[in-house]
Order: sequence, then structure tokens, then C-alpha cells
Amino acid sequence: MNRTDRHTVALIGNPNTGKSSLFNALTGARQKIANFPGVTVEAKLGVLKLEHTEIDLIDLPGTYSLAARSPDERVAIDGLLGRAKGMAKPDGVLIVVDASSLDRNLYLATQVLEFGLPTVLVLTMVDVATERGISIDMDKLSAALGAKVVAVNSPKGENLDILKQTLHQTLHHPAKPLELPYPEDFRRGVDTLYQQLCDIGIKLGYTPARPESLRLLVDASGPFLEECEEVAGPEFTRQLHEIRDKASGGRSLALIESTARYGQIGQWMLQAKRTQNREGRTLTDKIDAVLTHKLWGTLVFVLVMGLIFQSIYAWAGPLMDIIDSGFGALGDLVGSTLADGMLKSLIVDGIIAGVGGVLIFLPQILILFLFIALLEDIGYMSRAAFLMDRLMARFGLSGRSFIPLLSSFACNIPGVMGARVIEDRNTRLTTIFLAPFMSCSARLPVYTLFIAVFVPAQKVLGFIPLQGLVLFAMYWVGVLFAIPTALVLKRGILKSKVTPFLMEMPSYKMPRARNVLRVLWDRGGSFVKRAGTIILALSIVVWAAAYFPHSDEIEQKYDAQLEALQAKYEPAVVEFEPDFEAEPQNSLEKIAKAHADHEAAIAELEEEHAEDEEALKAAVLEAESALVKALDDLRSADFETASGQYEAWLEYTEAASAIENDRAGDHLENSYLGVMGKAIEPAVRPLGWDWRIGMAAIASFPAREVIVGTLGIIFHLGAEEDEESGTLRETISNDKSFSLATGLSIMVFFALCAQCAATLAVMRRETNSWKWPITSFVYMTSLAYVAALVTYQVAHALGG
Amino acid sequence: MTATTLAKLPVGASARVTDVKADPVLEQRLLEMGLIPGASVTLIRIAPLGDPMEFRVMGYSLSLRRNEAAAVAIEVLP
Repeated sequence: MNRTDRHTVALIGNPNTGKSSLFNALTGARQKIANFPGVTVEAKLGVLKLEHTEIDLIDLPGTYSLAARSPDERVAIDGLLGRAKGMAKPDGVLIVVDASSLDRNLYLATQVLEFGLPTVLVLTMVDVATERGISIDMDKLSAALGAKVVAVNSPKGENLDILKQTLHQTLHHPAKPLELPYPEDFRRGVDTLYQQLCDIGIKLGYTPARPESLRLLVDASGPFLEECEEVAGPEFTRQLHEIRDKASGGRSLALIESTARYGQIGQWMLQAKRTQNREGRTLTDKIDAVLTHKLWGTLVFVLVMGLIFQSIYAWAGPLMDIIDSGFGALGDLVGSTLADGMLKSLIVDGIIAGVGGVLIFLPQILILFLFIALLEDIGYMSRAAFLMDRLMARFGLSGRSFIPLLSSFACNIPGVMGARVIEDRNTRLTTIFLAPFMSCSARLPVYTLFIAVFVPAQKVLGFIPLQGLVLFAMYWVGVLFAIPTALVLKRGILKSKVTPFLMEMPSYKMPRARNVLRVLWDRGGSFVKRAGTIILALSIVVWAAAYFPHSDEIEQKYDAQLEALQAKYEPAVVEFEPDFEAEPQNSLEKIAKAHADHEAAIAELEEEHAEDEEALKAAVLEAESALVKALDDLRSADFETASGQYEAWLEYTEAASAIENDRAGDHLENSYLGVMGKAIEPAVRPLGWDWRIGMAAIASFPAREVIVGTLGIIFHLGAEEDEESGTLRETISNDKSFSLATGLSIMVFFALCAQCAATLAVMRRETNSWKWPITSFVYMTSLAYVAALVTYQVAHALGG
Repeated sequence: MTATTLAKLPVGASARVTDVKADPVLEQRLLEMGLIPGASVTLIRIAPLGDPMEFRVMGYSLSLRRNEAAAVAIEVLP
């Protein structure tokens, strides 16, 4: 295949036109996502195979106009001109046009046709148009536009072959740029500015296209203008203003441009479009009468939101447990084949735990995006935004921010990723920034532990449980701080850009499995590949900080203790390793198995009779007499000896695991992490913390819930402690350095801090810049520090 | 025919756009979306919370906040 047989074609169109459907239908499964630095939208790349040609298809983000007010909107022009890194310059364009709102869709088409690239206009949703009484004469439309027109139905695959053939033919014919009847002054302005642009082309580093001078003339702000002013200096700006003044003749340039385009479109439509006024309402109108109704609409909305939240919060749980225990089992399996030491610790505690820590988020991400993709495909997303906009607008957000923020209460990661449904860049950035303030389920273990330890289980006003009240309050702490943050963001960093809300309400459609699956695949894949690597790297860094220097001195000290302990027991006890799966061989094994079976039975009973204390007591008594009987049956010549050995073994294993826990605690205390904890102690002292909590806070940087396990190790209880553990609760409540004030201060800190590497990594991924995650981390950590400080000092002064 | 803005249009009523006056970014977006002088617009409904408003223009549905709709000057059609 020679060079001329490979082409690049850009796919462009308004949002909600079925552009993604067409892209999926044309390219199949082989797709790549292309990212642009600092841009929060993405283009997709795919390959379209024709008989003798391969075409690289670039799916540009949906847009209503080429006027670029933000770097995100700039992607369309950059894509058309082949300026994006790693993308060739397109030698043809497919413009996707929704036949049911042809006039507005052709607005973008007129802008694209001015680039003079070989173009095929693709009409979609002809069925919806027909339902509305619109008929389009494609030959006349084609003649008017000077471009081929093909109507397709991508879900059904209709006319895709004709489209491919037409595209192939079109690519071999040069095209002429569309000429629109602009007023003379305006046209002269574009010409003059084009000359100026060509003069500074060297400084820009690329050859400007003629339609870009039109954009520069009309668009009052935007990245292209900033770029030109930066490279060309104030003289250029002065001349630009002069040219604009002349071209406008006192009118608004945007008005001149839009009336010229819509004027031309109106003329074309007179020839090519017929509208019969149909009586009666369309299906969309009928559905909307319910879904945007004061009562029914609100009810459906609450139900849908409840379903989304419930599914991420609760239904993702079992899947997450499978992943969690799967990686736990994998760690144990690999751990059992490796000798103790650094390599084992790196693989088990660093890598396997780190990969598990990435994949654990997949269920929540996929479930949220299943709903988002479905609701978006159906067209409900805009209705939800329509219902919620007023509420969200008060905080400088839009109706579309609601779902991302709601899902953030389950997990911040899908929340941040869900913000991509927001069309406006500034609102999207604000929503991404606010998502980590929502109290996610990873904060729950921290709350549970400290509430159980410090908050008395009493009732307020006789019926409200105090513990529940504190938990409720913790959920509101984040929201409370998010609101002023949103207002400050809107008035501060993101202020200069006014963000209009304008939103199209597309007609309802049946969702398409292919589109939905595509979204799930893309989002899941992009999380694992791009965020996953960052999360894994950070997990390994924190593992290393907690592992090294791992001094031999500590090893020897505890080895000696263990040896001394082992010397006290006979070898049969020390070497005894019961395998409860196998059939017991001797009396000792039989006794151990009887006890193990008994414990398992008790645990089962406790679960079975969790509600009924009386029944539990009776059942336990019964189980105990069963144990006595089972032991009785085992009586044999060596029963007494074996019984003694079993007792000794119990004592020995407990003492040995205490030594191992001490060893782990000692290592952690002397690790780089422990040293850091001690170094920051003066800084966390005013929060009522000691170095151990400071260290646990640093260790929990990859994920908040890690703090509980870290506290378990540092209190020499072992890493297996969780928030439900009685031992950990007891140890903390007996520790002098902990008080109610300290507990509250830790909870407030964890409610507000950005201690979640996965969220920060996803922020980096979604904004394509480190600026946002770093700002978020610094801001939230400072906020958390100050709030924890105030909490501790106030609670302490009140005697807590 | 009375001159007013889109924000004051009653539900179900239609109007003709006479002018669009707003900050440059909003003005350009309104124009691009088809709210050009001469275009006819119908208010379909107002959201349950009182804002935004859903209009029909150029054969499609467009939702605008009240303060954005106020930037569009209209004459109400009988």
C-alpha cells in the first residue's frame, strides 16, 4: 500500500447528533483516545477500512461552533488543521448533521466548509425529522452546499456503505472553500487580518488558515487571541482593534457573522427543506410533559438519583469485596512461595496491594458510567440538569454538576470522572475541584473507629443517638466547606470567564448497547491505564517509606526474643502447624480441629442469631456441650499429653504473634515514614496529634482508609486490625494521648483532606494538567489542617 | 405587539427576536444557537424550581437561564 492510499478524515458535528454512534459504526472496536495538554475533552482515533484505502478517522469533540472561548473548544480547529500532536492533517471532513434541527446544525457546517477541505455531509435522525413533518431534498441541499450529502442510520447500519464510497470518491477531488455573502467591510477585515496573521506565522510556529482570521476578527476572547497577542506584542493588538472597528461599522461582529450564516442557511432551506405543520405533539413532547413535570418529574428524578447512589454505594460492594479478597488471596499465595524479606514485602505489600488498590475502584466507576452513558444516550441527562439547575446555580455550578457530586458521596473517583458530562469547561473544573469535598465511603472507617471510641452511645433529646448524629455531622462538614469554596472559585480563579448555561434538550432516543459498552470500555480502560499507573507508583513509594531502612538490629532483637520463646516450649508445640482442611492424624491435630470447628460454629451462630440474644446464648451453650462431647470422644492414651500440648501451642502462638506485631511496630517506628511522623510532630501537636497519628496520616496518602491498618501496626496490634476491631478501639481509648478532642480533630481532618492518590491521579487525567490536583491537594490539606486545629482547640477548651 | 425580553414571555407564547445584548461571550453563544434577530421563539415550559426556561427555536429545544433569556429582546407575537 503506497502513501497516497492512506487518508486522514476528521469527524465533526454538534453534540447529540449521533456522531459517536457513527464513529463506532465506521471504525469498530479499534479505537484510541487522544489527549491534549490542558484540555479536558478528548478526541478519538479509529481506522476505517475501505477496499483499497485505510482512513484514520478523528472523532472531534461535539461542538456548536468553531468559535473557541476555551482551550477545550480550540480542539475542533486544531483537529481540522492537524495541529494536535501525533495527528496528521485531515484531507477530508465528515460533518454530522441532525436532520431534525437542520438549520442550527448547518451553522457549524458553514464554518467547516470555509476551510475548503473535501467534505461529505452526513444526515442523521431523518426518522425524527420525518416524524416532525420535515422532508429534505438531498440533491438540492448538496447542490447548495457544494458537498455530497448522505443520509445514514448508524444503529441499523443503513447506507454506511454508500457513505464509505462517497467519502472515498470525495477525497480524490479538490474542494473549494465556501463563500458566504458577508458585508464588504467585514470581508475586507478578514482579508487584512489574514495578511497580519501570515506575517506573524513564523512566530506562531504554524501557517494560519484563512478561516482562523475570521475567528480572530469576531471572537472577543479565547486561546487563539491570547496566543497571537503573546507572540506578536501590543502593536498587533492595537491593529486588531483598528481592523475590528473598521469591519464592524459600529455593529456587533458576532451579530454580523451569525446573521450572514443563518441568512445563507435560510436561503438554502427554502430550496431544500419542506415543513408540514403536523398537528399533535411529538413523542419527546409527551415524555417531557411527565419528566419535567413539577410532581412526576421530581419524583422520577429522585428515584433515578436514588438508584444511582444506591448502586454505587451499596451494590458495588460485593464486587469490590471480590476484588479485595481476590488480591488478598493472591498476596497470601505469592507470599507463601517467597522467603520472608524485602522482595516478598515489595511484591505482596507494595505491588499486589497497589494493583488491588487500583482495581478496587473499577466497580464503582463502571456502574456510574453505565448510568451516565444510558441517561446520556436516552436524553435524560439534559432533563435532570434542567430540573436541578436552579439549585446548583446558586453555588456557581450547573444542573449537570448534580450527578457527579452525588456519586462523589460514594466515591470521589467516579465523581471526578463523571464531571465530563458537563459541557462548560469552567463549570466542569469547579465540579471536579468540589468532588473530593463530598464525604466518600473511604472516610467511613475513620469515622466509625473514632466515633465508637470517643462518642458515648447515648441519646440526645431522648431519641437521637449521639453517635449517629456525629456521623451525620461529619458528612456535612465537606458540603459546608464546599459551598464557600465554589463561590470563591467562581469569583476568583475562574471568574474572568463568564459561563453561559445554554443547553440543548435533545429528543429522546432508545439507548444503544454499543454506545454504552464503548463508554464503559473507554472510561474503565483510561482509569486503569492512566490513573492506575500513578496510583501504583505512589503505593510503592509509600510502601518503601514504611519498609526502609528495615534495620538488622531490630530483626536480630526480635529474632532473639522469638528464639528465647521457642526454647521454652517443646519442639512438637513450636513446629505444630494445624491444617484444618486435612484429616487429623494424631490426638493433637484432632483436638485442634475440634476447637477450630467449634470456633467456626460459634461464629456462624453469632451471625445467625445476631438479633436474638437469648437464642444465641442457648445455641452457644449447646455448641459448648457439643465441644465437650467431641473432646470426650477423642479420649485415648495420649489425650492428656496432647491436651497439654494444645494449651501450650495456644499460649505460644499468641506470644509469637505479639513478638511479630512488636517487630512490625518497631520497624514502622524506625522507618523513613516513622521518622517523617516524628519530624512533623511539632506541626501536628496543636491538632492534638502525636507522631503516630501524623505518620498514619502520611501513610494514608494513597488512600484514606489505610490509616486504620497503620494505626493497628503502630499500636503493635498487627496490620489486620480494622475499624470494627475491639482490640484497636480498646487500645486507643486506653491511650493517654487520645481524647475526644483528638478524635474529633482526626475526623475533621480526614473529612476535608485530599488524602487520596487515586482521586488526585484521576483529576490529573481529566484535566490533563498537574495544576488542578496540586492546587486541590494544597488547598484541601491546608483547609483540613486549620479546621482540625480549630476543632481540637475548641473541643479541648470545652474539656473534651 | 409589545417589546420585552425572552425572560418575561408567558409559557406557550411566541415572539420574534429583535436584538441580543449581553457580554460578548454570552451574546455570541445566543446568536450561534439561533437566537438571531428575526428568529421566532416559543416558551415551552419553565423548570419546576422556576429556572431555567425551555424554548423552541429553529425547530429544536433550547434551555436558557432566566438571566440569559433577559439578554434577548423580543416583540411578542399575537
